[in-house]
Amino acid sequence: MKWLNALLGKKNRTVKKELAEENGEDFTDSSLDISEREAAAKSLSLTKSLRENLKMIREITGAPGDLAIREFRAGREQVEIALLHLEGFIDNKLFENILRMLGLGSFQAPVGKGAGPNLLQEFRRRLLQSAEIKEVKTVDDLWNALTNGYSVILCHGSATGLACDTGDFRYRNVEEPSAETSIRGPRDGFIESFYTNIALIRKRIKTPNLWLEELTLGSLSRTKVGILYIKGLASEELVQEVRQRVSRIKTDAILESGYIEDFIEDNPFSVFPLTFQTERPDRVAGCLLEGRVAIVTENTPFVLVVPMDFPMLLQAPDDYYETMHIGTFLRVVRYLAFGASILLPGIYVAVITFHNELLQAQLLLRIAAAKEGVPFPVVAEVFLMELLFELLREAGVRLPRAIGPAISIVGALVLGDAAIRAGLVSPPVVIVVSLTAIASFTVPNFSFGIAGRLLRFIFILLGGAFGLFGVQFGALLVLIYTSSIRSFGYPYLAPMSPLILQSFKDLHLRIWRWRMDTRPLLLGGREPLRQARGQQPRPGIEEEEKEKAGKGRKNDH
Amino acid sequence: MTTEKIHNRQLVFMLFMIRSTVTIATLPVLTTGTAEQDAWLSAIVSLPATLLTILLIGGLAVKFPEETVIEYSRKLLGKTGGTIISFFFLWTFLYTAATEVRIYAELLNTGLFPLTPLIFLVSSMVLLAAVAAVLGIETIARTADALIFFYIFFITASLLGAVKAFDHINLQPVLSRGFGPVFSSALTPAALGNQSLVLGILVPTLTTPRKAVTSAVLAALLSGTVLILSSITVVGVLGPKIGSSSIFPFFLMTRAIEISRFIERIEALVVIAWGMGIFINLAVFLYCGARGVSQIAKIHDYRPLIGPMAVLWVILSVHTYDDLLDLVKFFQPQIFFPYSMTTTILPYLLLWAAYLIRHAGRGEKKYIKKRRIKPG
Repeated sequence: MKWLNALLGKKNRTVKKELAEENGEDFTDSSLDISEREAAAKSLSLTKSLRENLKMIREITGAPGDLAIREFRAGREQVEIALLHLEGFIDNKLFENILRMLGLGSFQAPVGKGAGPNLLQEFRRRLLQSAEIKEVKTVDDLWNALTNGYSVILCHGSATGLACDTGDFRYRNVEEPSAETSIRGPRDGFIESFYTNIALIRKRIKTPNLWLEELTLGSLSRTKVGILYIKGLASEELVQEVRQRVSRIKTDAILESGYIEDFIEDNPFSVFPLTFQTERPDRVAGCLLEGRVAIVTENTPFVLVVPMDFPMLLQAPDDYYETMHIGTFLRVVRYLAFGASILLPGIYVAVITFHNELLQAQLLLRIAAAKEGVPFPVVAEVFLMELLFELLREAGVRLPRAIGPAISIVGALVLGDAAIRAGLVSPPVVIVVSLTAIASFTVPNFSFGIAGRLLRFIFILLGGAFGLFGVQFGALLVLIYTSSIRSFGYPYLAPMSPLILQSFKDLHLRIWRWRMDTRPLLLGGREPLRQARGQQPRPGIEEEEKEKAGKGRKNDH
Repeated sequence: MTTEKIHNRQLVFMLFMIRSTVTIATLPVLTTGTAEQDAWLSAIVSLPATLLTILLIGGLAVKFPEETVIEYSRKLLGKTGGTIISFFFLWTFLYTAATEVRIYAELLNTGLFPLTPLIFLVSSMVLLAAVAAVLGIETIARTADALIFFYIFFITASLLGAVKAFDHINLQPVLSRGFGPVFSSALTPAALGNQSLVLGILVPTLTTPRKAVTSAVLAALLSGTVLILSSITVVGVLGPKIGSSSIFPFFLMTRAIEISRFIERIEALVVIAWGMGIFINLAVFLYCGARGVSQIAKIHDYRPLIGPMAVLWVILSVHTYDDLLDLVKFFQPQIFFPYSMTTTILPYLLLWAAYLIRHAGRGEKKYIKKRRIKPG
């Protein structure tokens, strides 16, 4: 390092740094870069002198206002003690409790003269009543404990500190997820708290075999990330693969699970999402029970599920809770709507531009009459209207809720109506665009809806340039591509291509629960049977069983 | 490079789409020979011939479940002989594919896009096939998996749509001129059995290669059924005279369909179905061709070959035939049948002969050994 710095002409800094190293650590030196500071802080261990420890912490953190340090003397020996916590991270009652214990309790503790470590041990053994206590040995540990809601007790004469869990960060309540609503089904959604999210899942799957592996990602953000799976059900190779891909991430910060998604995706160029993200604990639980793996990230309500396949995107939780007929019907509608949301504008443009003969004569006349006087070619018309619609939607999402309705009025009434009256667009185009928009809203997964939107524009252009041939060209290209991609090694279009007829029971169909005996085949295939076969409800099933049992007895005799 | 594997079911689907697309699109049973109203009989007659071709090709492939035809032909006939024979097959892949894409382009040109330059249609289809071939046979097979439902649905829909216009008078008299014309019409569809040459390349990629013949026969039976049904329907709707004088009789038939006042002109469905079929067809042929060439040239990966081959293919497809009539002439039985014989059947007979000579001897030895052991 020295010669490198010399080369770079950073002589002064090197000298300073060396000085800093000699004197212990000088964090007041502003010329240290973030990675240098981080590295230095990591190597710092606590010393026996309380005064020095506190000075060190103040220097490293810049003594921020939210770092509360309470210094006092305790015990018969009047040992110097400091209690540290970060404002906003802790529950005041718990904290007061600790404070009281330290103040009063320490007098009861018979410890040797001036023995900080002994006092700490005594605290730990007898006095502290907090849920979790751990030792911290370095400044880095100490700070991590503070940011996780711990209060840290430092004692003069002891080179370790005690961290007691007093955490109570104010999160929002568990509410209905805003992006994935359902009519029938549980109303709780994930929130930003890591352990609340885990608990929401664990409440649904109470087996001890629901395993959680925790990692910390991001050198600066130090975000907690959990890999959740059912041991013995999820395939080991899959879990290993997820573990490997997630722990391979070396970055400074993970602010949302989308960061992780980007890092672990199989195919970076895929328009379609290759990991499934959801805000609903019941969906995650359902996926885990199929042998998938969930990745829970701190500070975000979005949980990733891998591997993902295409049909998952068009399944809504309601399908499983409603009766079989309704579930199936809704799914078929959704599949059709999804197809329409991608292809409809493209096909419309193609037919109007190239294949007028495909339309019935009267319909064609109607459309032609409506189109009369419109100055744009139909391609431009549809493209512009779609673009306008995207504009409205994006504006609607970004606007504060109070102004939201204004956008819909301006968009629907002023723009739509006025554009038709002014003869800038023809009414059929507006019908097609709004139909497409409605169809695209039926896709339960938001990010998939975005992928569909992107494709729609391509299909409009293809249809406008090359007619139905172009649309077919594009559709085949998309199909080839989606058939070729995989999510964590599992084919993306799974039950459709490769064809697995067995899994069709949960594709467009949603058959009775008592017929869903097997788990999806491709996912590792560990214990494919999920329930006993033949549980169809029948009248008089008990009598039949009795009869059988009776027969059995007779045969025994 | 990981070895790609496809399921036997996927082979059935691919072969089915390959076999049925061209035979339905051009309906050679009707357009090539003189069978006219007895076209469906020709379709039936051509079926055993196709099966025989499959047995010939698939039977040998099953004997070498780990190798492609390129590799075992070298084993059987020596290095030079094997390579020469392989060139026949590779040529067939290239040429058949070029012809098929041309047929599809001509169909689009006559039917839906009269003004679009042929080369554009050809090259975009080839581009699709090339993308699929680069992504590998697994991807092609999976795409076939996904497309098969649409394919069958569209074909069935157009056949059912024709029921209303069906007139059984058109099919009579049966066999008025004896079996001669029936056989003349069966020659070209039977010779189209050379499409089964892909088995030589695809069998080693199968999950269960020993069932390859069963799968291929199943595919041939399915596509044969579709061929028989469609020839009956087309003749029944159009009549033998119009049918045999047109170039794309099936397409013509679907144009005539009018189910109700609101549902008419369903030919787009058929064109889309053929688009799917042709796409699978081209992708498989291109893959097989590239695999073959890479094995002859001892190149580890076939993917770099696909680009140049695709370009060559477009050129071949556009320049081999002057126009549609030229194409039709190629499919005349007196030209196409001998052509297919020399490029497919003869080489395979040669391979079989070599196989029997080499392995019959060995088999006998084994037998003798066994007998010797027994008394001892």
